[in-house]
Amino acid sequence: MIGIEDLTVSFNGTPVVHGVSFQVGRGESFALVGESGSGKSTILKAIAGQAHEWTGSIRVGGDAMGRRRDAAFVRRVQMVFQDPYGSLHPRRTVDDTLSEPLAVHRIAGRDGKVLAMLDAVGLSRRFRFRLPHQLSGGQRQRVAIARALMLEPGVLLLDEPTSALDVSVQAEILNLLADLRAERGLTYLLVTHDLPIVSFLCDRLGVLRLGRLEEISEVAELRTGQLYSAYGRELVARSAGG
Amino acid sequence: MNVLSRDWLLSEDPETRAQAKLGQFYRVVRALSRNPLAMVGLAIIIALLLVAAFASWIAPYSPFEGSLQNRLQPPSVAHWMGTDELGRDIYSRVIHGARITLMIVLLVAVIAAPLGLIVGAVSGYFGGWVDRVLMGVTDVFLSMPRLILALAFVAALGPGIENAVIAIAITAWPVYARIARAETLTFRTAEFIAAVQMQGASHARVIWRHVIPLCLSSTIVRVTLDMAGIILTAAGLGFLGLGAQPPMPEWGAMISRGRAFILDQWWVATMPGFAIVIVSLGFCLFGDGLRDVLDPKQKVKS
Amino acid sequence: MSLLRVENLRVRFPTDQGEVEVVKGLSIDLGRERLGIVGESGSGKSMTGRALMGLIGPPGRVTADRLEFDGIDLRGLSESGFRKLRGARMSMVMQDPKFSLNPVIRIGEQIGEALQFHQRLPARARRRAVMEVLEAVRINDPERVYRLYPHEVSGGMGQRVMIAMMVVLQPDLMIADEPTSALDVSVRATVLEILDDLVRRRGMGLILISHDLDMVARWCDRILVMYAGKVVEECAAGDLHAATHPYTRGLLASVPQLNETRTRLPVLDRDAIGAGT
Repeated sequence: MIGIEDLTVSFNGTPVVHGVSFQVGRGESFALVGESGSGKSTILKAIAGQAHEWTGSIRVGGDAMGRRRDAAFVRRVQMVFQDPYGSLHPRRTVDDTLSEPLAVHRIAGRDGKVLAMLDAVGLSRRFRFRLPHQLSGGQRQRVAIARALMLEPGVLLLDEPTSALDVSVQAEILNLLADLRAERGLTYLLVTHDLPIVSFLCDRLGVLRLGRLEEISEVAELRTGQLYSAYGRELVARSAGG
Repeated sequence: MNVLSRDWLLSEDPETRAQAKLGQFYRVVRALSRNPLAMVGLAIIIALLLVAAFASWIAPYSPFEGSLQNRLQPPSVAHWMGTDELGRDIYSRVIHGARITLMIVLLVAVIAAPLGLIVGAVSGYFGGWVDRVLMGVTDVFLSMPRLILALAFVAALGPGIENAVIAIAITAWPVYARIARAETLTFRTAEFIAAVQMQGASHARVIWRHVIPLCLSSTIVRVTLDMAGIILTAAGLGFLGLGAQPPMPEWGAMISRGRAFILDQWWVATMPGFAIVIVSLGFCLFGDGLRDVLDPKQKVKS
Repeated sequence: MSLLRVENLRVRFPTDQGEVEVVKGLSIDLGRERLGIVGESGSGKSMTGRALMGLIGPPGRVTADRLEFDGIDLRGLSESGFRKLRGARMSMVMQDPKFSLNPVIRIGEQIGEALQFHQRLPARARRRAVMEVLEAVRINDPERVYRLYPHEVSGGMGQRVMIAMMVVLQPDLMIADEPTSALDVSVRATVLEILDDLVRRRGMGLILISHDLDMVARWCDRILVMYAGKVVEECAAGDLHAATHPYTRGLLASVPQLNETRTRLPVLDRDAIGAGT
């Protein structure tokens, strides 16, 4: 579904991701893990079309991506952001936020679709006309997930979707993401620094360090602590050590 | 359904878009009504509106005609604010002047605020060379004192109230552009903007529907606070003889004429001066209250 | 002898909907030990820390039946009284060094400022004290760091500078509110080690406030679990996994594990917990 070949991404001329290649199959959940500065979010931004200075090839569903993302792309790939406090427009109600993608793409039947999506992400319908500041962090993240799903994409890019949430709320959101993937056959590309989340939500993972891919492994190998790169094992040890 | 009751408006879980919008509006109004100074300001503004609307009925005399026998009378029962050098009733002139003041203020706001808002939002949103060009132009305007710039424009366009309005509007917009740009920069890279971009929204749509609404409240607040300045600039132009032309009862022009008699017949200049001070104060107080209610930065703190 | 004795601490804030109590009757008896306060957002854990430091200003209200620091009654202590205590006797490390350091003052001078305020030392002695404390937080080249501005150091280094600033006056009690949550995983352990080392060597009392159960269990002797303004569980750090309160148990269960094989994570039943307390 996603094919990354020799991707190099720069910020103001300084490369921060160096020649990264990996493939994500249809319906698969793939994680990019690493510390801050490893370039994991940058790769996501390049795929999403938010970072423009890149070379190499990015393919989505077999189509090579250029610098600009067209309407067909955004209906296929959507993103959930890290910070549920910053990813919702502070002056727009849940209804506005969820209707916007439908309005942009001139899709009819807004009321029904918004209500159905609220049900799908487990948000009570009475929240429909609330503003973000009237919602908790977990509820906001549900809205953000709902917004990403409004255009019924096949791929979700997840940028640390639970790192700003409390642990008990994190569990709810992780369950929701797992359920949605099972129901809709979604492909996930998850970026995180938290290895246990990868264990729960993903099939394979790529370990990034200073913009280079150190290894790609099955999650089973992560669970048994058998990552083969030295850096991968170091991350596992640190994660286990708290 | 209990339409328009207090609980219906304040409901945390509105059922329709209209209820949600009305509820938000009601909250702002309620918060504002708890600020006594803002209410004083609002009362002054409403009084100004009423006086302007019903000037012909309220004013006891004509603002243009007087009798020379009555010239320069001190305030009395017949002439509450006295008469000017042509024997015209100052009270009536001040009342009719409210119309002119209101017109100037509204026209300037309608021209300058949207212009500044759009320039600022576009500049902040795109950044890069667009930002440099637009802000360069803005800075050129900002670097000159407002009254002097307005003076230059009026001098070029010719004296008169319409030209004064245009000149003031031209000098007023850069401030709003700066504010809107600064505001835009704070959330240009925010994830909610990235999210709408990712949904395929065009730049125009992002600016119009997502950026400008967020700049709106600080601009509205600033416009209200600037009203006083606009009135004073208009008065200043009037005072210099470049704004409203005689015999129009513009407050600044009235002060200008009264200046000649300031030592012996103080009321001629003082009465319109009072009017300017009170109306400016009204806009200032109201703007201050509005800022407390609308400014998102203040809200975060509380 | 206990360093800090708190009985029935309450913190209230007025809101549009009436007064809200964010800390509802908390009691602590702290010696020269390491106490962890764990809770999620809104549990009142940070408000507790701020209340102890006298950092809750109007319109917030702080009341307690007893609020004693080393025999000094903190209730009704004036702002200037608190200012003499803060830094010198008790100090607080905040979440993000970016917001706690003044960006236009060199690091060395910022640390020295605290010394200047509390003890009148000659400039040279002050400089020496700053160098010593920078070394104590394991900064290898204190001479260089002394002259840097806060934006020129990394997050981990910034947090070490914060800690240096807080311990330079050798306080008796240190309150650390989420001292590592703004830091990268790789430097978290180092910062906590430094903190721990200082606390042990100087015999300070430590209150570590965090949302991270594992971290608190690892670095503290005793743990308080807070939920909705109340302490729902108090236990020795080693016994955390034998916790009895449904909230603590739920919280522990909801954290995914490295060898996670569950297909669903258990979710807190907030209604049941609300009813239980």
